Amino acid sequence: MSDTTAPPNHATTHSTIWGVKILGWVNVLLGAVIFIGGVWLIALGGSWYYGLAGLGLLVTGILLNRYMIEAIWAYLIVWLGTLAWAWWEVGADWWAQVPRLVAPTLILVLVLLCIPALRRHPSKI
Amino acid sequence: MTRISPFAAALLMAGTFPLHAQQTGTDTPQNPPAEAPQSDAVSESAAQAETDSAPPSEDVAQIVREVGSDWPYWGGDADATRYSPLDQITRDNVARLEQVFTFHTGDLPEGTAEGKYSPEVTPLKIGDDLLMCSAMNILISVDAATGEENWRFNPGVPNEAIPYGATCRGVSVYTNPQAAEGDACATRVIQGTLDAKLVAVDLETGAPCEDFGENGTVDLWQDVGERVPGWYAVTAPPAIVRGIVVTGAQVKDGQAEDAPSGVVRGYDALTGELAWAWDLAAPEQNRNGPPEGEVYTRGTPNMWTTATADEELGYVYLPMGNSSVDYYGSNRSEAENEYATSLVALDATTGEEVWHFQTVRRDVWDYDLGSQATLLDYQGTPAILLPSKQGDIYILDRATGEPLTPVGELSDLPKGEIEPDFVSDTQPVSEWHTLRKDDLTEKDMWGFTPIDQLWCRIQFHRANYDGFYTPPSSDKPWIQYPGYNGGSDWGSVAVDTERGILIANYNDVPNYNRLVPRDEVTSQPIHKKGAGEDSGSNAEGAADPQEGAPYGISVNAGWRNDVTGVPCTRPPYGGIRAIDLATGETLWDRPIGTARRNGPFGIPSFLPFDIGTPNNGGSVVTAGGLVFIAAATDNLFRAIDIETGETLWSTVLPAGGQANPITYEVDGRQYVMVSAMGHHFMETPVGDEVIAWALPED
Repeated sequence: MSDTTAPPNHATTHSTIWGVKILGWVNVLLGAVIFIGGVWLIALGGSWYYGLAGLGLLVTGILLNRYMIEAIWAYLIVWLGTLAWAWWEVGADWWAQVPRLVAPTLILVLVLLCIPALRRHPSKI
Repeated sequence: MTRISPFAAALLMAGTFPLHAQQTGTDTPQNPPAEAPQSDAVSESAAQAETDSAPPSEDVAQIVREVGSDWPYWGGDADATRYSPLDQITRDNVARLEQVFTFHTGDLPEGTAEGKYSPEVTPLKIGDDLLMCSAMNILISVDAATGEENWRFNPGVPNEAIPYGATCRGVSVYTNPQAAEGDACATRVIQGTLDAKLVAVDLETGAPCEDFGENGTVDLWQDVGERVPGWYAVTAPPAIVRGIVVTGAQVKDGQAEDAPSGVVRGYDALTGELAWAWDLAAPEQNRNGPPEGEVYTRGTPNMWTTATADEELGYVYLPMGNSSVDYYGSNRSEAENEYATSLVALDATTGEEVWHFQTVRRDVWDYDLGSQATLLDYQGTPAILLPSKQGDIYILDRATGEPLTPVGELSDLPKGEIEPDFVSDTQPVSEWHTLRKDDLTEKDMWGFTPIDQLWCRIQFHRANYDGFYTPPSSDKPWIQYPGYNGGSDWGSVAVDTERGILIANYNDVPNYNRLVPRDEVTSQPIHKKGAGEDSGSNAEGAADPQEGAPYGISVNAGWRNDVTGVPCTRPPYGGIRAIDLATGETLWDRPIGTARRNGPFGIPSFLPFDIGTPNNGGSVVTAGGLVFIAAATDNLFRAIDIETGETLWSTVLPAGGQANPITYEVDGRQYVMVSAMGHHFMETPVGDEVIAWALPED
């Protein structure tokens, strides 16, 4: 599915860009799951990271669905926050970093691949 | 993308999920060492170098064999150090090792034995022969240089006798000091079987020793009570001290309070007659067997692992397990509380207790002592070194049981709500050395992705956890860390007495447990199962009834995510460490086990990184400066530099290497050997091979 996120070469002004759409919905879904679990974790006295990151992912997904370039900034904040948090939690223990960094970084790559499409496509506010 | 990412992450992580291994109380033993001086010189030639060591008493004097060209005891030498003076294979040439032969025992699981094999066998090497047992107790003699079979003897153990796993960790050998060479059974091979027999055969021919018991067999069910196959089984080689064969048995855990006794018995090595019984709850009354019509005290702590023989003092050291019902203790007797999870020294000639040293007070965690203790000289005092599942390593005075290294005490431990009057709020710990890591925190939770890591964090906070020795609970699960796999389990540790280095491999995994209220318990104890019903081979305690206690027990061994099967805690799950014997300080410590066999959804990742897997089985150390060990779930057999911890050589085994290796010499050529037979609980492939490696003959 990642190849579908590549920006199409033809004019796409008002059509649906499926790669961005799918990525948007996937982020909404993941964000919702992580947010709900994160709130549960906060209620249990655990880390606030998941609640916040889930929210950030949710926002990213919504912005992507509206073709808003702000999605990029939203996710960059999530990712940088994740990086800082992950380092604070376990530092250079790379096995411990796998669940913390690998998936969020893959999402980062996919989100960044949306930039050309978002630039060309008018946002739906 | 999202599906991609977890998957990719998973690939990267390669996780490791194998887990745990061990069993609690059930199996394991080893054998006897007597004390023997170790010498660098290879003992004489073939036959066996036997040195007389302080002959104990008259004609029961027992030969103490030396390790070197031979590997005469399960623990290597009589002291169970697992140290060999051989030095042909060195750090410089170990990379040139090549396989010399592989021997197939032919014993593979059939029918109801499928999924229950965990042979764990370590051969002995005496003279020109390798002596071993297969998973189902077939005794086999093999030429140590060629791998050709000399003879075999099959005692015909039925599948129904398999307790938790089909295991025979090894055999022991006894030479009749009165016999002339060539007499039948002058030297005999003795094993305990899964169907609870002692079997003695002639080392030369494999023929049963007719003077031993009934045609070479002694029935250990005698005076134990109702015969329920699989409930009472021997998996460890016996210890032989001053002509007395000492054995305990594995009593399958968690079935019922009214379980077979944990009695430990001594038998005359020549006649098989009962010399004494040590019933910890009635030691005087039952010393020569229970009165007519009675049985040994039911449900008492048992010894499933290998005892250590001390020919010089005439003692035998028993690493005791816990009572039959592991996770609930209010119904236990004072005697059980006194001896459970203790190292007990008995006078091997009389069966009388000399001393005991308890490692857990009021054990409700299944922290059986699983490791064979090692005899050594500690700063001038004859000592015994004892590793525990909690990772603590104690060194005691062999004569008195007094600690020679500092023992601290934890206090104000939580007592829980289940049985606060029973649970102890203090526990001993070794201040000399422990393999145990710090308590878990939420940050230690793991997974392939943020989502499963999040789920494990939620589980972490939903459980009761107050650190080490959190008592059992039923309203919520509780986290037990370290889990019952250790720390150190039946493979025990190896001691390089020349360099003064202790090598310990260990597990680093928690269990996620819950006491199950009686009305929710669905499993039946083993004696109430129908004839056709499987007695089960699931992980120890996975769902045990604990009949007689108000609760059954549910154990998630290794605490794996119930959806993905991925461990909830971060790697490493197992390590190996070198400890300075003089100071107790760590010289090096590293994960053991690569991620090659593990990955998401059970797909091997082939990643060569040392993630640190659960491991089961010990190591061998050599004068050549090498540590040989398999044990991990990556199916590798490896040689590690004892000075640095670096892996210098490794080879892929055809099945799991959950067994202790050995090294020996024939005609001036040094061999290293390990069995590759797999382990159901460790989730490694099953096989039937014993494999030898040596340097190429130039």
